Amino acid sequence: MKNYRVVGKSVERTDARVKVTGSARYAGDLLAPGMLHGKLLRSPTAHARILNIDTSKARAMPGVMAVITGKDFPGIPFGTRPDIRDQLPMPITKVHHFGEGVAAVAAVDEDTAEAALDLIEVDYEELPAVVTARDALAPDAPFVNEFKNSNVAYFSDFAFGDVDKGFKEADHIREETFSSQRVTVGFVEPHACLAEVDANGRVLLQGSKQSPYITWRHMCRALDIPLSGMRIINPFVGGGFSGKHDPFDVDFAAVKLAQVTGKPVKIVLNYDEVLAAYRQRNAMDARLKIGVKKNGAITALWAENILEGGPITGIGAFNIYYFGAFLNIPYKIPALEYHGKLVYSNRAPCGTVRGQEIVLAQFCIDSLLHMIGEDIGVDQVELRAINAVPDNWTCANGIKVDVSGLSECIEKSAEKVGWKESRTSKPEGRGIGFSCASHPSGPRLGGHFGSAVMLKLLENGQVIITQGATEIGQGSNTVFCQMAAEELGLPFEDILQGASDSDTTIFDSGMFGDRATYWDGNATIAAAEDLKKQLAEIVAPSLKANPEDIEFADKRVFVREAPERGIDWLSAVRKAYYEKGAPLYGRGTWAALDIDIVDWKTGRGNLVHGLDFIATAMEVQVDKETGTVDLIRAVHGDDAGQPINPAMLEGQVNGGSAQLTGHALWEESLYDAKGIALNPSWRDYKQPTAVDVPESQVEHVHTHDPYGPFGAKGAGEASSCSTLAAVANGIYDAVGVRIKDLPITAEKILDGLKAREEK
Amino acid sequence: MFIKRLPAFEYHTPSSVEEALDLMEKHGNNGKYIAGGTDLLIAMKKREAVPDHLISLGGIESLKGITPDDKGVRIGALTTLAEIERSEIIGKQYLPLRDAVGVMASIQVRNLATIGGNLCSAVPSADSAPPLMALDASVKLEGPEGERTVPLETFFTGPKSSILKNREVLTEISIPKPHPVSSGCYLKLMRRHAMDLALVGVAACLKLDSERKVCKEARITLGAVAPTPIRVPEVEAELVNKEIDEAVAEEAAQIAGSECRPISDLRASLDYRCDAVTVLTKRAVIETLKRITG
Repeated sequence: MKNYRVVGKSVERTDARVKVTGSARYAGDLLAPGMLHGKLLRSPTAHARILNIDTSKARAMPGVMAVITGKDFPGIPFGTRPDIRDQLPMPITKVHHFGEGVAAVAAVDEDTAEAALDLIEVDYEELPAVVTARDALAPDAPFVNEFKNSNVAYFSDFAFGDVDKGFKEADHIREETFSSQRVTVGFVEPHACLAEVDANGRVLLQGSKQSPYITWRHMCRALDIPLSGMRIINPFVGGGFSGKHDPFDVDFAAVKLAQVTGKPVKIVLNYDEVLAAYRQRNAMDARLKIGVKKNGAITALWAENILEGGPITGIGAFNIYYFGAFLNIPYKIPALEYHGKLVYSNRAPCGTVRGQEIVLAQFCIDSLLHMIGEDIGVDQVELRAINAVPDNWTCANGIKVDVSGLSECIEKSAEKVGWKESRTSKPEGRGIGFSCASHPSGPRLGGHFGSAVMLKLLENGQVIITQGATEIGQGSNTVFCQMAAEELGLPFEDILQGASDSDTTIFDSGMFGDRATYWDGNATIAAAEDLKKQLAEIVAPSLKANPEDIEFADKRVFVREAPERGIDWLSAVRKAYYEKGAPLYGRGTWAALDIDIVDWKTGRGNLVHGLDFIATAMEVQVDKETGTVDLIRAVHGDDAGQPINPAMLEGQVNGGSAQLTGHALWEESLYDAKGIALNPSWRDYKQPTAVDVPESQVEHVHTHDPYGPFGAKGAGEASSCSTLAAVANGIYDAVGVRIKDLPITAEKILDGLKAREEK
Repeated sequence: MFIKRLPAFEYHTPSSVEEALDLMEKHGNNGKYIAGGTDLLIAMKKREAVPDHLISLGGIESLKGITPDDKGVRIGALTTLAEIERSEIIGKQYLPLRDAVGVMASIQVRNLATIGGNLCSAVPSADSAPPLMALDASVKLEGPEGERTVPLETFFTGPKSSILKNREVLTEISIPKPHPVSSGCYLKLMRRHAMDLALVGVAACLKLDSERKVCKEARITLGAVAPTPIRVPEVEAELVNKEIDEAVAEEAAQIAGSECRPISDLRASLDYRCDAVTVLTKRAVIETLKRITG
């Protein structure tokens, strides 16, 4: 393995100090001259026709500068793909969920804007609410989405390998149902933005956006303006976790109000609005059947899955495919059949959440695998080791694994958690659960998909990097600075992070699927090579060498075979600037061109590179009298290829797992029978606190990905995928209670314990 | 429906109880006293309370502080939960109260919230009430018609209601000095491990004979399982004049589980709360015994 100077080191994050000291500016902190404040009027009902909206009284209120409704927009629907354009900026004919924005006010201050909301009169004609997947699929169910005469928003059906033969060859088959609740996304910063329009009518949006490209494309379409008609600058973003990809009523309303008034308009939400009316994870109802040989080797898998996703399709079309696709991995499954449906409902719209729907698929597989292990008497660790995908493995659906450290991940997590010892003795109520998972490094979804990085060489020798990826707290900016420093032979401190601005950056297709490190990392290397090539051509003649023989290291530029023949980096930079009149940019792009654009409905194809792997062992303690669970320890064997920044990588692995402990045990967005949100407050929506999450241990399994930058893979989501089943299996191991419907509340555990006693 | 911004109000800062009472007199029904504000300001943002005048008790020095005397300890109503948490005398002699303040809300909220405010809000799940009732605390109420001191046990009348009259101020909580052979504890069951409301809260105080064997006096109180925090005399009777062991504690705990009157809501079901009362009562009794016998 190559000896790196900056890569592989836990350097300080580029944004650490400004964030810790509170000086980082988020969207809600922004001010502009003459700025107005916007507020949204929200639907009190989950499903209703809008008969009339009378805004005249609100408009007449002193201090109110504009009031808008859905009718002020062009009425052009948008969506993730051309075949699923089923959203409007704000509703025109009907409301689809509790808390949906139906009108917006811009006023001189927040109090006035809020008071004006009370003066807007909306006539609703209530419609029956479609709350659950069962409601949606009932024969007489009303249609939720006005652009589609069906409550099935999308589907995915596929079969690979000989499934019948697989089940015939099985020595043991087990079939079970699983379900999962609605959970919120969980970022810290609520949705916020500042919109302005310049003298030429060009829009500037500065919002809390995870994927400014997705926001930009959808907004320009729905506002009926060209892409050049809108500029996006991303301020600091307080977490995304897939909850801030697309534009929301907040963003549309701010822009429209700015267009109408000609003044900057800022809207900042309260968190109760986010909890009630913005992105959540799909609710799941799934049935899985797995066949195994006597030794536990899987022969076939069959699955059916219904995701309920609220009134829009959004990224749900991909979610429903992804669930099925990732049943193929991390275990060797020769034959697989999958039937998935995404249905509309009148609950808050779903996008996805960290780990996407691999999280749910893996909960099902690894829970079922645990049950099967018990049935056939095969040890849980052996069972997973037997089925773990190896290097150069092609899954039944065509996904190709280049490098897999999974076997070693399993081995390490089992050893460090003390699995073997625990089989001979463990404290009362104590248990250990396992789950594995694999997550790709950035899928290709169609349309624009390449990554671009620009390195601007300053005349003092430092370099400013701008890239298409967005820093949302995951640490990507730091990683790219490290990579650029490594490639250019400069100290980490000499690479400065530039702005995330659509006028100067080509935004990535979106910050999803663990793509940033992998794709933009490769583009960073390409940009550094480009800059070095240009500098080498300038410097080579004076060193009496060919440009291709010039090397860059330790802040020097020299001849590879004769290192003493060289000049320092700054002299080389000055030569370019002052002698050649050549201020330089290094430009790099990267895209995985040999992966497929998979048809989400039929599922075949190699979707990705850079599959990372994880094996999580979760040690839990269950109080048998109250049913409460203490998460004692999580040990993750993690293969993220070459770690670029080990401390940040651990943060990602621990964070991804910690976030999902809430989904496993405490979190649930509750609704009543009419679709009204019941617990949109931090008082009653329970995310884990620092004392709820387990102590964490990450065991890095170093591999070298052939396509990844420096051999790295993506890292932020695998541990989210392996956590739910690890918790569920740990609880079963502790007290013999199997909970298949999330969240695993204390009450469910206690009921399970009582049922066992009665037997 | 959704949280709003604070409504407009006039803010008054009296420096004595008399001045506070006068201000309340003047502003009639449009005024409200405010202590730490951690309940009231949220209620105002939800428009559950829209007072035109907020009369702050925060500037009244006589309402602050923890004062031991020969009868026990007096706690000014405006003393913050954090101050109680850090108090040496509370930590040594009034363990149920120490237990409670340590598991209330968050550190930030404990720095603002006051003990008097927690009692006056009178929510069934208020954590400070069961331990103070078990410790036989009294509260002093001062109003235009003079002052009165009542046992905390008789203070609460229903969810968010108490005997406190509109213009009265709860000024002080007094707790009698504990008997040398006594102790107590407060146990709280939450959905997660911190920053949560009690699903069930149980406080126990026991006094043993000089041999440290027979229980001479027991006070058991429950929170979050009835319209008000409640004392359960049937449970206490089961413990008194007995040498308490696992079996006796279990028996008493079963009675507690059947005496409580919780509701089912989105936080927990009635059945689960009753089960938890049984479990926590037993644990509270056993823990208290341990604290006495060392």
